[in-house]
Amino acid sequence: MAPVFSDILEEARITARAIAGFGGNLFNPTVRLGVTGLSRAGKTVFVTALVHGLVRGGRFPVFEALASGRIAGARLEPQPDDAVPRFDYEKHLHDLVTARRWPDSTTRLSELRLAIDYQSQNGRTRALTLDIVDYPGEWLLDLPLLTKTYEQWSAETLMLSRQEPRAKLAARWHAHLATLDAEGPEDEQAALTSAKLFTEYLKASRDERFAMSLLPPGRFLMPGDLEGSPALTFAPLDLPELGPIPDRSLWAMMRRRYEAYKSAVVQPFFRDHFSLLDRQIVLVDALAAFNAGPEALRDLERALEGILDCFRVGQRSFFSSLVRPKIDRILFAATKADHMHHTSHDRLEAILRRMTKRAVERAQFAGATIDVVALAAVRATREATVKRGRETLPSIIGTPAAGEVAGGETFDGKTETAIFPGDLPADPDALFDGNGSFRGLAAGKERDADFRFLRFRPPAVETTEDGAPALPHIRLDRALQFLIGDRLA
Amino acid sequence: MSEHSRHRKPAAFRLDDPQVTVAEHEDEAVHAPARVRVIPEREDAALPVPVEPTAPARRGFRWGTLFWSALGGLVALGVSLAVMQLVEDLFARSEALGYAGLALAVLAALAFLIIVAREAYGLFRLAAIEKLHARAEAAIASDDRAEGRAVIHRLLSLLKDTPQLARGRANVERHLGDIIDGADLVRLAERELMAPLDQEAVRLVSNAAKRVSVVTAVSPRALIDMGFVLMTTLHVVRRVALLYGGRPGALGLFRLLRLSIAHLAVTGGLAATDSFIQQVFGHGVAAKLSAKLGEGVLNGLLTARLGLAAIEVTRPLPFDALPRPALGTVAGDLLRGMKGKE
Repeated sequence: MAPVFSDILEEARITARAIAGFGGNLFNPTVRLGVTGLSRAGKTVFVTALVHGLVRGGRFPVFEALASGRIAGARLEPQPDDAVPRFDYEKHLHDLVTARRWPDSTTRLSELRLAIDYQSQNGRTRALTLDIVDYPGEWLLDLPLLTKTYEQWSAETLMLSRQEPRAKLAARWHAHLATLDAEGPEDEQAALTSAKLFTEYLKASRDERFAMSLLPPGRFLMPGDLEGSPALTFAPLDLPELGPIPDRSLWAMMRRRYEAYKSAVVQPFFRDHFSLLDRQIVLVDALAAFNAGPEALRDLERALEGILDCFRVGQRSFFSSLVRPKIDRILFAATKADHMHHTSHDRLEAILRRMTKRAVERAQFAGATIDVVALAAVRATREATVKRGRETLPSIIGTPAAGEVAGGETFDGKTETAIFPGDLPADPDALFDGNGSFRGLAAGKERDADFRFLRFRPPAVETTEDGAPALPHIRLDRALQFLIGDRLA
Repeated sequence: MSEHSRHRKPAAFRLDDPQVTVAEHEDEAVHAPARVRVIPEREDAALPVPVEPTAPARRGFRWGTLFWSALGGLVALGVSLAVMQLVEDLFARSEALGYAGLALAVLAALAFLIIVAREAYGLFRLAAIEKLHARAEAAIASDDRAEGRAVIHRLLSLLKDTPQLARGRANVERHLGDIIDGADLVRLAERELMAPLDQEAVRLVSNAAKRVSVVTAVSPRALIDMGFVLMTTLHVVRRVALLYGGRPGALGLFRLLRLSIAHLAVTGGLAATDSFIQQVFGHGVAAKLSAKLGEGVLNGLLTARLGLAAIEVTRPLPFDALPRPALGTVAGDLLRGMKGKE
């Protein structure tokens, strides 16, 4: 009965916070926008560009409220939650505009409050508070753990790690795992070694050449202040099918720690942050998966499914906003759309739509609105047509970051280069039918790869007298219109 | 599709490579002797975006509407009272006469109701077309696929009775399942569905303009010209509206004419596609020949412009993929004809 009771307790806490929030919302309408995505998807850049665009008035023709001049201005407000770090907007903006390098990645949850003064359609002057919550997508992948027992998780993780190309990366951990006896006495050193090797395997899988996505538990990759504590010192074990758990065995210890991880890490995140979101944007870097190969793409698909299963979606109603907040709009954004010619954007969107199809259907059934968009929060390239012999290649021009390799050449971060990244297939299913559908970096040599999406440096932005002008973007305005446009009506 | 047969490999070209030339324009690139040519595309992002200011929202109670509604109600009451009185008087004189009067009154009321319903339907349909026009414009601007698709569905249902579009409708329906961005979808529908209608409309306007100019040239009285111009214009506006799927009644026609004239007032002075000089020149030469002939040309031009404005107002989609018909295309014959007579 214990888990059921704790569930009820969790729900009660969420409800208590929601009621408090509802009271505040009457006087001061607030939207909590969750920004997430797996690492390197471009969360920090997205938030920076969004805040910059709103505060400085970017060029957002599709974002109706701003384009028609109804937004008088937006300003940064003091960070509301005392226990949550503030999103370091100023530093990230400096990195982007002045230093021309991409800002540091998100390793923890951070928040920023923005107040938008606007005039509603019927002429009343209002203010909307926009709380932007930026958190690593890896944490989302932890949420499914809440419903899994240690035994289930262990079996699933082991099964995944025995598939290619993961098996290669997990070889050392597997070797160590074979020496462990789950029913033997508990042993701290064995647990430490096992956890270390397991973490190494997770980190290796995330490498650019493999670009795996489904790598829970998330804190193993981003430990934060819990590093070294027992809650992070566990690993899957080869467990017998049935049988009682012997007291004081390695199995029992791992199981206890897994539960501790859930209650100390996953549940507080779910209760204090995740469950309070109104709107959510999930940034997906599909291009990294294209670079790596079909396995990475399938892994990304599984990870997205896992993420979607955790969202509490549905139409908002008076009752739901009172007791159980729900996310009523989710946007899936394939980021880095500037890495390909705009003629391919539709195909990129189609691929993302294909990956999220099942979840989208479910969410729509629940009454939530879901959209998919290919966007670039900061556009680092311009488009060009390259004619080589009789071929015409729709390409992009940008400055590849130092150290990027393409066509046997290593770039120095200064040369402008026209890149043709490869044709995305017109039929998204073609990418998912079997292992040989396309070749990525994981399969072999760099020059054999079917796609090559390089990292570019941020664009050179001319700074005018009154500060930086609006950053160039692709469809960021459409994302904004979808996410908060209706709240500014 | 080429990508099924042969997947093109990714490639990178350094712009400072001597083998690579960068050309700003297509034709420049053709003459460059290099192996690889890079042609940067025009940056749309740098262009300013025109943003329509939204009309200030109506605030407060609509007293004007209330006044007119109340007055209308009073008049209706008065009329029905008068009719009732008449029927009663008729009954008083003779029963047969009374029944005949009653029957006539009922018939008149019935016909009136049907007329009102038809007018309302016509107005409703015009409003639907206007709304569709605005939505299509928004869909092109936002490139929203769902919105574009909704616009196309609406357009198809609006044009389902137009027989010459059977083929175009089938084409569009086939493409509805494809992955096309919203703006492109609207443009596709414009090319498939609007092109035949545009041709027809231009022909209608052009004919009317010719007719007006000839009649003006030969008519003995200015009053006759004016009457004829008015009649023809109304006729053209009505035909164009019918063509594009509208069903205007008398009120609808009035509204359309008003919109067309308003449109003309806004765009007339500075329509970029038609040259002002042409009008002046055409008039000048013709007027030298005969004042009456010049008047005819001028009246014809006026009709043509009004017809073009009507096209603009009644067309369910904005001109985006197809060129806007210019005055030259509808009134070109007119001017050529005059010059021929020189």
